[in-house]
Amino acid sequence: MSAASACAALFLRDLRGVIRARSQLYSSVFTPLLFLVFLGNGVSEGLAPSKLPAGSFTAYLVAGSVVMTSVFSSTFSSASFYRDRDSGVLRMLLSSPHPARVILLGKSLAGVAIGTIQAAAVLLIAAPFVEFEWQHGVGAGLAIALLSVVLLNVLLAGLAQALASRIQTMQGFHLVMNLALFPLLFFSGAFFPVDELPTWLQVMAYANPLTYAVDALELAAYAANGDAFIGLGVDFLVLGALAAAVYALGLARTPRLTWSGQ
Amino acid sequence: MEGAAISAAGIGRRYGERRALDDFSLEVPGGSVFGLLGPNGSGKSTFVGLVAAMEAPDSGTLRVFGEPPAPALRARVGTVFQENASDPLMTVNDTLWLASRLFGVPRAQARERSASLLAAFGLSDRASDAVSTLSGGMRRRLEMARALLHDPSLLLLDEPTTGVDPHERRALWAALMDTRGAGRTILLATNDLAEADAVCDRVAFVQAGKVMATGTPADLKRGLRREAVRVTVDGLTPGQLSEVEQAAGAGQVVAQDEVLHITVDDASAFVPRLFAIAPGAIRTVTIEQSTLEDSYFQHVARQPAGSVAPL
Repeated sequence: MSAASACAALFLRDLRGVIRARSQLYSSVFTPLLFLVFLGNGVSEGLAPSKLPAGSFTAYLVAGSVVMTSVFSSTFSSASFYRDRDSGVLRMLLSSPHPARVILLGKSLAGVAIGTIQAAAVLLIAAPFVEFEWQHGVGAGLAIALLSVVLLNVLLAGLAQALASRIQTMQGFHLVMNLALFPLLFFSGAFFPVDELPTWLQVMAYANPLTYAVDALELAAYAANGDAFIGLGVDFLVLGALAAAVYALGLARTPRLTWSGQ
Repeated sequence: MEGAAISAAGIGRRYGERRALDDFSLEVPGGSVFGLLGPNGSGKSTFVGLVAAMEAPDSGTLRVFGEPPAPALRARVGTVFQENASDPLMTVNDTLWLASRLFGVPRAQARERSASLLAAFGLSDRASDAVSTLSGGMRRRLEMARALLHDPSLLLLDEPTTGVDPHERRALWAALMDTRGAGRTILLATNDLAEADAVCDRVAFVQAGKVMATGTPADLKRGLRREAVRVTVDGLTPGQLSEVEQAAGAGQVVAQDEVLHITVDDASAFVPRLFAIAPGAIRTVTIEQSTLEDSYFQHVARQPAGSVAPL
């Protein structure tokens, strides 16, 4: 039996689980879309932000909404670790001939796929309703967006897995994820440009991995390289390196269960 | 019977200060149905976990099919845990599909074995249903089918019929024996002595992490007094209990709540003595043949009357 086959089976199993749990699927996609519609239009009409690189605040929010979708999705996907542990399924998986790391890999890859699909869905649903420039062309723009979303989801899946293997309860896990990810989301350029922030907040923003995902998505959809942007090369370098490191960290500590599930 | 499927010598296992297994030694013959019997917390499940390579012993030597337990060896082992381990959101078919992929069963063979196991365990018409819609007994049958899908040489059953009604229990064991296959060894950890008496070729009594006695159920019952008297009492004084223990013909006397269990040579001669000792305290008297339970109490539960570890 091959580890790849077991990994693929776990991947498909978790993917099917999310597809069956439709409420999770819909809320992960539609919550960011509601954000776009209400917050985007409200701020565009009410405040007419002139310093935004996109044509409207709604267009500007698309990149942030895609990143937010990935953040929500990674949290939900990693919660399946606790569901499997508490329902006894994890013990069954760990009683198979495969090392625990293979089990984790299959499950976390499913989380990456789910997050990527949901984030891409937000982008594709929003695209017809906002004015994107697609300065690299639509195909290349979508490819850049997809790559940045994949790297972001690998990074988030690794982070979620690293936390899940150290935090005993699902409630604790959600608390820590929210505490860690919401500040990162706020200071990533998802909701407002970071170059207008005070210097100390700009330092925080540039130390924030989500900033590079937002930047890559903005560059993919509506902005040419310029002073206001970090640049695709740096974005992918930072995201790729961090994704690889954090994902490896997430898989480094495998779950240990006794026969009786302790 | 073949050579030993499982061989344990001087196994020790601790969890912090608690000693779960202490100089635990056992041989499980290949092809046998072997029962590990003991009260909750006696170390049965800990030993099964070591055999499944989910934990490692702190000391001693353990061999499964002649090899130290390792994850790769689990390809030859099927496991049924005390609690259900199937995803309630998955269908019955998907549960078996996942097991087949994890254990590397070729697709065509997996389809064939799934169909035959579902038929054997009476689940064919529920194959497309979610596990959450199955009754408790059906879920246990699914656990069995899942554990057998890769045709393991060793099946580890940890209290597989807990919470299952007698009808379901009989059906489950009948299906398990039908699908047993040549040479498969079954290690059953249970505290159901009647179940072990009915299905096991050999048993071991386990208490406080040690094997207290081992043999066939017949061997273990041999030498017991022939009959057992079960007496329901109300207001039996300690003095009267002591008199019962000293009465002529009394063997092992176990008191649990309001029930006295006494092994005797001749129940018809012993019962009148009981009424003479405690005429007002006896509510009911039942005379039985000696069972594995009597042997268990003789070997394992040698605590003072009234403080017997619950089975």
